[in-house]
Amino acid sequence: MKKFFTYILLFILTFSFLLPFLIMVLGSFKEVEYVLLDPFFWIPNDPSIANYTYIFRDGIFLRWILNSVIITIIPVFSQMFLCAVLGYIFAKKKFPGREAIFWTFMAVIMIPQQLLIIPKYIMFAQFGWINTYWALIVPELWGIMGVFLIRQYLQGIPNDFEEAAYIDGANDIQIFFKIILPLSIPVVATVGTFSFISNWNDLFQPLIYMTEEKMFPVTVGLASLLGKEGNFGVEMTGSTLSFIPTFLIFLFFQRYFTEGIQMSGLK
Amino acid sequence: MTLKNNNKRFNKTKSKLPFKERFRKNAIVYIFLFPILIHFAIFQVFPFLFSFVLTFMDWRVIGNSEWVGLKHWVNFFNDKLAWKALWNTFMFSVYYIVPTMALGLILALIINSGVKFAGFFKGIFFLPVVTSFVIIAGLWGWLFRGTDNGMVNWVLNIFGVDSQLFLSDSGQALIVLAGLSIFKVAGSTMIYYFAGLQSIPNQLYEAARIDGASPLKIFWKVTFPLLKPIHFYVAIITTIGSFQIFDSAYLLTGGGPNYATTTIVFYLYQQGFSSLNLSYAAVLSYALFFVILVVSLIQRKYLGKESSFY
Repeated sequence: MKKFFTYILLFILTFSFLLPFLIMVLGSFKEVEYVLLDPFFWIPNDPSIANYTYIFRDGIFLRWILNSVIITIIPVFSQMFLCAVLGYIFAKKKFPGREAIFWTFMAVIMIPQQLLIIPKYIMFAQFGWINTYWALIVPELWGIMGVFLIRQYLQGIPNDFEEAAYIDGANDIQIFFKIILPLSIPVVATVGTFSFISNWNDLFQPLIYMTEEKMFPVTVGLASLLGKEGNFGVEMTGSTLSFIPTFLIFLFFQRYFTEGIQMSGLK
Repeated sequence: MTLKNNNKRFNKTKSKLPFKERFRKNAIVYIFLFPILIHFAIFQVFPFLFSFVLTFMDWRVIGNSEWVGLKHWVNFFNDKLAWKALWNTFMFSVYYIVPTMALGLILALIINSGVKFAGFFKGIFFLPVVTSFVIIAGLWGWLFRGTDNGMVNWVLNIFGVDSQLFLSDSGQALIVLAGLSIFKVAGSTMIYYFAGLQSIPNQLYEAARIDGASPLKIFWKVTFPLLKPIHFYVAIITTIGSFQIFDSAYLLTGGGPNYATTTIVFYLYQQGFSSLNLSYAAVLSYALFFVILVVSLIQRKYLGKESSFY
């Protein structure tokens, strides 16, 4: 009996969590030209790909996707590499000021991004970075949270491998690439997936640094569609298209997401 | 004493290793740490200090900037809209924090109760977390259309409730936005609670069951109190997240109706980047920083004490 209620609840919750996504995907195949009189207007009786051809008509949407890919992929790989290097340095290396530097990093996490964005806007205007990819790529090349995660992980790994390699005459760059990096693949994947999601989905920063339509990433572009089109089908098509990359990453790396969330929380 | 001396000498010889040898063992530190520290100084430390300096200036995008002392801080204390924005943000937290925690806990309990395909359902509940605010806000706007044929209104009508205006009603708009955030974030609180539930030893449940406790009683007397460290952590991150709410207000309501959804970050954005009053926006960002700092210190003091329960 108890099981029965659990399943009923599970079914209701699953349905309500999936419904918006169902509306999004089905709605993208629906042409709505008139006032929407029916709450189930999103079910296409006559599926068509007209919205898809419409959204690709002038190439601007494709450009937004391309912009998003550029401002996402470069930070993702750079973060995976640099956070691994720094995680290794702060977990295993001994040098003066190591703890002080690390805890300064951790204290800075407390500062909300919104506080840094105003001075950064002024700086980037001076650098000539407004409406360029630099503004969204360069500050994201490494991240404190990623360093923290990888440091935690490497602290749990014994030093034996490393010491054996030193005795064999390896230098620490070799050790990093041959021993540390392969050992930390799961946590590096976590850092990569986190970085992908936060950059791909970011609205606030590109909204401020990117003012020309052709430089918009897909979040800002989609937001501008919501504002001006008011066309349900086109909105849902844009949403579906920008959702696909996130969904694929999620599908293949779900484990790293959930493990990463747990690691970041339960230290 | 001799041991200490020996140690000292050992340390000395160690630090006098030939440079080549030290470099072999620490090259990675020399090569990477320095550029990273410069990067950190440019993109984190300098902006933080610079934004504080900005609050005492009239920063002009074009033309000469000048020092104005405390003008913007005084304006802030007299700016009714800024206080309304802080109040709205606080009310948003009230609508958002407890439901997000409760829904996350319910989802975790279901996933943890031994249902089939638990991993699959976990994935579904987590899906909104990885989806962008823009997509979810777009959908939300259609679901909560304030006309009779909006989907939510249609459901309400079935239950005999009159149609609501939702986003066009200054009393409801903030609640609808909170609902959006609950839907988006509950999946991640679920993950924290799920990890917490799995760390509770089974013997405790068994002991309670042998004593004849009902499932509800077991939940309130065993499970819920044992999750205290998780409650604490989740409360902190949802609170901090709620003070930074911006996306949904920007996308769905534009701060309205009648400033009902003008949150502190939305107001900051408007002041800084629509009115180009960057210095005043910096003051607002410090207000946000201060609120977040105070909240986390209070929570650390009152909730953190009992975080180790065993």
